[in-house]
Amino acid sequence: MKKIIIIKYGELNTKKDNISFFINTLKDNIKKALININHEIIFDKGRMFIYTENYDEVIEVLTNTFGIHEINIAYELDNNNLELISAKLMELLKDKEFNTFKVNAKRSDKNYHINSMDINKELGSLILNKFKNKKVDVHNPELNINIEIRFNKSYLYFEKIKGIGGYPVGTLGKGLLMLSGGIDSPVAGYYALKRGIRIEAIYFESPPHTSLNAKNKVLSLARELSEYCGYVKVHIINFTKIQETIYKNCPHEYMITIMRRIMYRISERLSYKINAKVLINGESVGQVASQTLTSMKVINEVVKIPVLRPLACFDKIEIINVAKNIKTYDISILPYEDCCTVFVPDHPVINPASSLAEEYENLIPYEELINEALKNIEVIKILKENNKFDNIL
Amino acid sequence: MVYLDYSATTPVLPEILDSYNKVTKDYFGNANSLHSLGTKSKELLNEALKQICGIFKINNKELIITSGATESNNMALIGTALSCGKKGSRIIVSKLEHESIYGICKYLEKNDFIIDYVNNDSNGVVDFEDLKKLITKDTILVSICAVNSELGIRQPLKTIKQIINKENPNIIFHSDMTQAIGKVPVILNDVDLASFSAHKIYGPKGIGILYKKNGVNIKPIMYGSSEDLRPGTPPLPLIVAISKALRIATSDLSKKETKVAKLNEKLNLSLKKYPKILINKTKYSIPHILNISLMDIKPETFIHALEKHQIYVGSNTACSSGKISAAVLNIYKDKTRALTTLRISLSHLTSNEEINIFLNVFADIYDKLNNLN
Repeated sequence: MKKIIIIKYGELNTKKDNISFFINTLKDNIKKALININHEIIFDKGRMFIYTENYDEVIEVLTNTFGIHEINIAYELDNNNLELISAKLMELLKDKEFNTFKVNAKRSDKNYHINSMDINKELGSLILNKFKNKKVDVHNPELNINIEIRFNKSYLYFEKIKGIGGYPVGTLGKGLLMLSGGIDSPVAGYYALKRGIRIEAIYFESPPHTSLNAKNKVLSLARELSEYCGYVKVHIINFTKIQETIYKNCPHEYMITIMRRIMYRISERLSYKINAKVLINGESVGQVASQTLTSMKVINEVVKIPVLRPLACFDKIEIINVAKNIKTYDISILPYEDCCTVFVPDHPVINPASSLAEEYENLIPYEELINEALKNIEVIKILKENNKFDNIL
Repeated sequence: MVYLDYSATTPVLPEILDSYNKVTKDYFGNANSLHSLGTKSKELLNEALKQICGIFKINNKELIITSGATESNNMALIGTALSCGKKGSRIIVSKLEHESIYGICKYLEKNDFIIDYVNNDSNGVVDFEDLKKLITKDTILVSICAVNSELGIRQPLKTIKQIINKENPNIIFHSDMTQAIGKVPVILNDVDLASFSAHKIYGPKGIGILYKKNGVNIKPIMYGSSEDLRPGTPPLPLIVAISKALRIATSDLSKKETKVAKLNEKLNLSLKKYPKILINKTKYSIPHILNISLMDIKPETFIHALEKHQIYVGSNTACSSGKISAAVLNIYKDKTRALTTLRISLSHLTSNEEINIFLNVFADIYDKLNNLN
């Protein structure tokens, strides 16, 4: 009797013709994430089976992998003989503490000689005979006994570990995440990953107005996101000159609007270069002056690329809760200035006019500045595994 | 050299010393400075702390860096006493604690706290019934070490915590885990406060940890520029060293334990054959320590005779050398037995060959000294 890990796919099962592509990508993602752990993967359209001895480490990885609905630690039997199954089950139950139980049998071999309901009944009565003072409770059992009967094999398991769902990262192509040091953008990145989008990130820095701390903070956020996708490439744009030029030449209440329009333009051009199909950002309607509906329209109209805003209609508290779950919150609240918090006007316009934004923007040679910024991009690939302090720590 | 005093302290692993040196040299910026040298240090500091939190499965607010286990014990006991003083004034400790705990207890007694000493059974395990009896509504703290430093007796902390919770859930439960970490699995969920030290796990001296569970309130015993429980410039090279030491010490635990158990068995089998020598161990002793009583030979003499052959073992614990072994007296109620103990403590780094050398030299010295009697 081998102890193995079973993975159930969840939403992938709704795919028809391209299900193999989704499952293969999931398998590749798992293989890459488990590169340092001995394991072997076997899969079909319904389940994936992982053979390993490092259960805890493997499960830790799997609970951070998108495309997985449920994980079980199961005992695999090399045949589907019901007598043998019940003998093994009785052996396993000796070490279990429980008062109430429920048997859930499934058979993917529909030609199996008895049906699931009858297996439940038969095994249930065997348990009641063998163990004293146990009761069946089909609604709220202390112990769930799960049996899956397949061709030539069968599986026994008790515990169900919830996966994080979604689609395997990479199945839906690539997007460019506008990553600031704030609370929202990493959460937006997480949701994009959850829908199977491979992300790269763009970050605007303004040294010396923003510090190395601020940049490192963004790289730390990228590292947390890499837990879910193996790696995140971060493109760092030097925004100092653009920001200073806007500050000197444009009316201050339009500073943020113009700054955001230029950031969108730079992000769009980088997207085409790296083959990203969408922009992703953490904007949430109404949160700040640049996120009123009018602002969003005036800012968005300078680009053609679709912009995904996974958090558009989230409350701040909802976003914070997710940020805490994915461990980005504590990093995001570190108090370092980012380029959206330096040069903040006292009263930014909340209902900007497109015509005015365009007029003010034309006061500066923004095309030239954008081209210059795009020429000097620093790219850092943040790997889940590789920590730059590895040798020291 | 045959070093068999790993429970007193351990040699620093070369890779840990390398990190210590590298950080001292290349990361000298103050982690609290704003400039990039400071930032570089801060980044490394955060990563080192994060690694420790990951190993213990705790969050960063639960981790306090100290100068060693004695300081951690001080913070735990005095910090709790200062914080809970109004709720009660009784503290329970076991009779198998490290000397540093008793030193703190004496200080607290002078300051009107009452210390209750819980009995243990003949295996050295805390007597649950006695513990129940001692717990009152005035009890604020229970401190019981995870593994005793003389006989290696391991305490069932989870059960003890359950008893405490049942009798008086307000009590804070502290455990000195200095001798446990790197030898047996430690589960911080079982306690509210726990002390650790780097120098018992192949790290440098002068650095330790206090774990403080979220929601547990203790008062600081040191004050400085920040409101942290332990103010002061973070000693980055030492913090990196303890982080690395913990990572190495807690990996492959069961493999290391199996190896040490085999060495212990070998020693035990040979030393058992000496008619006068008594082996001090109970069924809850971990294999890393083998404590014996020479009975009619003074342990000091024996230790000095061994050191001439570059073999190093301990008497009882390094921190109370030369005194009577409280743990052996407690379990065996035999004064001679308690006055003549040798503590041989092993590591996964100990080789079979070293045990052979030790046993041969031991036999020679024993013959000579025994004939003198």
